[in-house]
Order: sequence, then structure tokens, then C-alpha cells
Amino acid sequence: MNPNERPEPGLDGSLDPFGSGAGRRGEFSVDGSSVEAGGLETAAGSDGAVEYSTGTTTVGLVAADGVVLATDRRASLGGRFVSNKDVVKVEQVHPTAAITIAGSVGAAQAYAKQLRVEADLYENRRDRRMSMEALSSLASGLLRGLPVSPLLGGVDPAADGAGEPHLYQLDGAGGRIEESAFAATGSGMTVATGALEREYDTDTDIETAVPTAVDAVLAASERDTASGNGVVVARVTGDGVETERRDGTGALMNGANGGAR
Amino acid sequence: MQNSQQQAYDRGITIFSPDGRLYQVEYAREAVKRGTAAVGIRTPEGVVLAADGRLRSELQVAASVEKIHKADDHLGVATAGHAADARKLVDVARRRAQVEKLRYGEAIDTETLTKAITDNIQEFTQTGGARPFGCALLIAGVDEDGEPRLFETDPSGTPYEWKAVAVGGNQREAQDTLEEGYDDLGTVDDGLRLAFEALAATVDGDLTPEGMSAATIDAETATYEALEREEIGDHLEEHDLLDEGDADEE
Repeated sequence: MNPNERPEPGLDGSLDPFGSGAGRRGEFSVDGSSVEAGGLETAAGSDGAVEYSTGTTTVGLVAADGVVLATDRRASLGGRFVSNKDVVKVEQVHPTAAITIAGSVGAAQAYAKQLRVEADLYENRRDRRMSMEALSSLASGLLRGLPVSPLLGGVDPAADGAGEPHLYQLDGAGGRIEESAFAATGSGMTVATGALEREYDTDTDIETAVPTAVDAVLAASERDTASGNGVVVARVTGDGVETERRDGTGALMNGANGGAR
Repeated sequence: MQNSQQQAYDRGITIFSPDGRLYQVEYAREAVKRGTAAVGIRTPEGVVLAADGRLRSELQVAASVEKIHKADDHLGVATAGHAADARKLVDVARRRAQVEKLRYGEAIDTETLTKAITDNIQEFTQTGGARPFGCALLIAGVDEDGEPRLFETDPSGTPYEWKAVAVGGNQREAQDTLEEGYDDLGTVDDGLRLAFEALAATVDGDLTPEGMSAATIDAETATYEALEREEIGDHLEEHDLLDEGDADEE
């Protein structure tokens, strides 16, 4: 290759370690159709932007010592047929960070994979982990144009493992909004937000935040037909990401006894 | 005179000689030596860059001899060797620094920037039809953690980190001066004094501020600041490095 013909470094914030041309979407699709977490319906908004309805419920809570992410476990087709009852919609993307998935499963999985690769490459090249500022900036840049609305929760790298926790709401237009308390996405987000509004305590630590997160997802599962089949909870701390499955038989508003399985 | 064996291996850059040398890269190092000197010094309070330039005539505008460049708020680059080649690499540095902000929302650190530049230089030692960059760069910066850093790039594309280093013409004399004087550096001003002393060692007489340039990056503020020519003159006068003829004219 003639160096004079080298492409300019990407100014759009993208970094494609597999070489240009590999599409971010559709790579894992066999027939062009996509399986969705709860079903994907697109509609052109008034400003021409495509809006995605995402059949799922995911929540994120900021605690003093980390971030709690929780989601339901249902995958559906168009929100009408339950295509899977045990989906894990939380994916670790960094040693101390994870995302929740709402939207197109294929796009979301490819996106999570790409984030993991980018975070690993960054750490290997520089011998230090990405800060949450760097990860969220990259995550929002790579999300542009994808039918996915994730939450990103993570803890900044620190020698003593007690880095600052951060929670971000990301959108398909490349938006990034940091949340200081809690956030919810997916079709069940309104119900979950109501529950969080009532239950969230600004002085919470990670263990008291877990039942609050579970309650919010269970509340949404009661009323949103595209959400249900139990809860997946992830504790994101300076020590890493711990994911736990819970079934849906626990009493609503009593998440602490929701029954770890 | 070159012997015939050597001649066969210095046509193409991508060809090793039987004893494992890349003659074109070595010739590029010679081009660096033909340039005027540049020095960089790391002190606890910041990094210093200083360079001597050559004016072809007293009619040349001194400011057009660019040896030290701002790459980003917290990064400076001093160059020695082919000025046009160096400018190209400075632009690589400036672009890479901005790409880092777009991608990660953070200022690039000195080591990452240096390696991006040396990766670029290295490509030109392995690609058919290309020639290597005939310049050396000193990359000075203050990282996010407030740590002053100083790196050198050479025409092979190897990065080196230094406490104090000189490149360009009469590099050995300047480096000797740096080695002798490095121990008792406390402040950025101490760094400037030693930098000018090292540059003075590379020229026969004393220094004149015309054609010279200097910049500092303070560890506290992490901000690149170029010195005005008058400030350089004041430093030279204070440390008794000013050319006598020049002093008389004032």
C-alpha cells in the first residue's frame, strides 16, 4: 500500500479494528430479518428520525459503591409472541462496566462485542483501562444509527478499586446523557421509572439498590406485555461485573425476597 | 566513496543489506544531523523545548523558521532535520490529538501520541516507493495525571523516552551538556537555562535570539506556552549566553 493513499484517521469517532467495510449491522443475520428483544417496530418521527419501540425493560441505578443494572428476561417477536424466556440483556463491555440491551438483539450483540474489543485494545495498547468518560464517549459514537437504546453503567478505574460510579443513557442518534440517580429504557420504562421515582434513595449502596432495581423491573413486567419472565441483576463495582438471574415468582415490591435462583 | 555492494542495497528503502541494515533509514538519520539542534528537558515542574534555527539572510522573517509547534493545549513538538517532512508529522500529531477527543472525550497522553506518530513513520520504512522521514521529533507534554513527559522519534519510527535529549546538528555536544547539568534542575526556568546552554554548545559562538525558539508546558496548568523572542533574549543575557556582537547592537 502506498502510504500516500492511506485513509485519514476516522474523524467520526469510529475505530474499526477489523478494517473498513465490515458493517456494524446485519453481520449475524442469516435471512436479513432480525430477532428482537421484545420486538422492534420502526416509525419515522416528525423530524424524519427513525424511532424504535423496544419491547423490554432495563433499569440502571447509581449507588455509592457502584452501579446496579437490571433487565427482564423476555424476548418477543413484535411484543406479541414470547420467543425466549431466559435472555440475559446485560453484557459486560469493560472490566468494570456493562450495558443493558433494548432494541434489535443482533445489532445490540454486535455492538457489545465491538465495545469489548475496543476496550481491550485500548487497555493493551496503553497499559491502563479506559475511564468511563472515554468508554461512554466511544460508546455513544459507535451507537450512531443503530436501533439500540442501551444504558451504560461502570466504575472508573482506580488503584484501590473504589473509583467513581457512572451511569449513562445512550441513544441511536449518538446522544449521551449521564444520570446521577437512575434511568430506565425499553417499552416498560414508564412503569419502571414510576417505581424508581418512589423507591430510589440517593444515599443507597449497591446492596440496597439491588432490590429497588428488581422491584422496578417486576413492576414493569406486571403491566408491559413485552417484559417479563424474571429479572437479571448485575452489580457493577470496582472489582468487576457480577450477573445474577432471578425468577419472576417473587412478590412484587419485595425484590429482596424475589428468590435468587 | 560507496562500495558496489552497498550501492545495490540503498536503492530501495524496503531492501535490507546482507548485514541487516537499511541504508535509506541511516541516510535519513544523516539528514537529521544536517539540521540545527533541538533540545527537550523534563523538570519536576514542566517540560521545556528549545531549538536553534538558521536564517539564510538578515532579510528573512525570523518567525518563518518554525522549529517548535503546538500540537494541542498540553503538547508541543520540536523538530530537527527536513523542515517539510517535520511539518507533515506535526500535522499527523495535531490530527491524532483531535481524533482522541472525538473518540474518547479525553486529551491524548504524550506516549500514545508519540506511538501514533512513530507508527506512521515506520510505515514509510517498509513501503515500496516511499522514502523515510528525514527528521527527528521531540514530543513534550503533560499528561492527565500532571506528569511531564518527553519523547523522541527517529527516522526508523522508534519511540524513545528521555529526561533530557538533544537532536540535530552537533547533537553530541548538546547531549554532553545536558548530562552534566541535568541533576540540579528544579524549575522550568532551570530547564530553560540548561536548554540554552546545550544549544550554545552546538554552535561555535554564543547564541542570538533571531531564529531561536522555545516553549514550555507547565505541569500545573498543562498548557503549552511559546516564549517571545524578547524573553529568549532576556534568558540568554541573564545566563551570559548572548552573542557579544548582538549585545553591542542593542
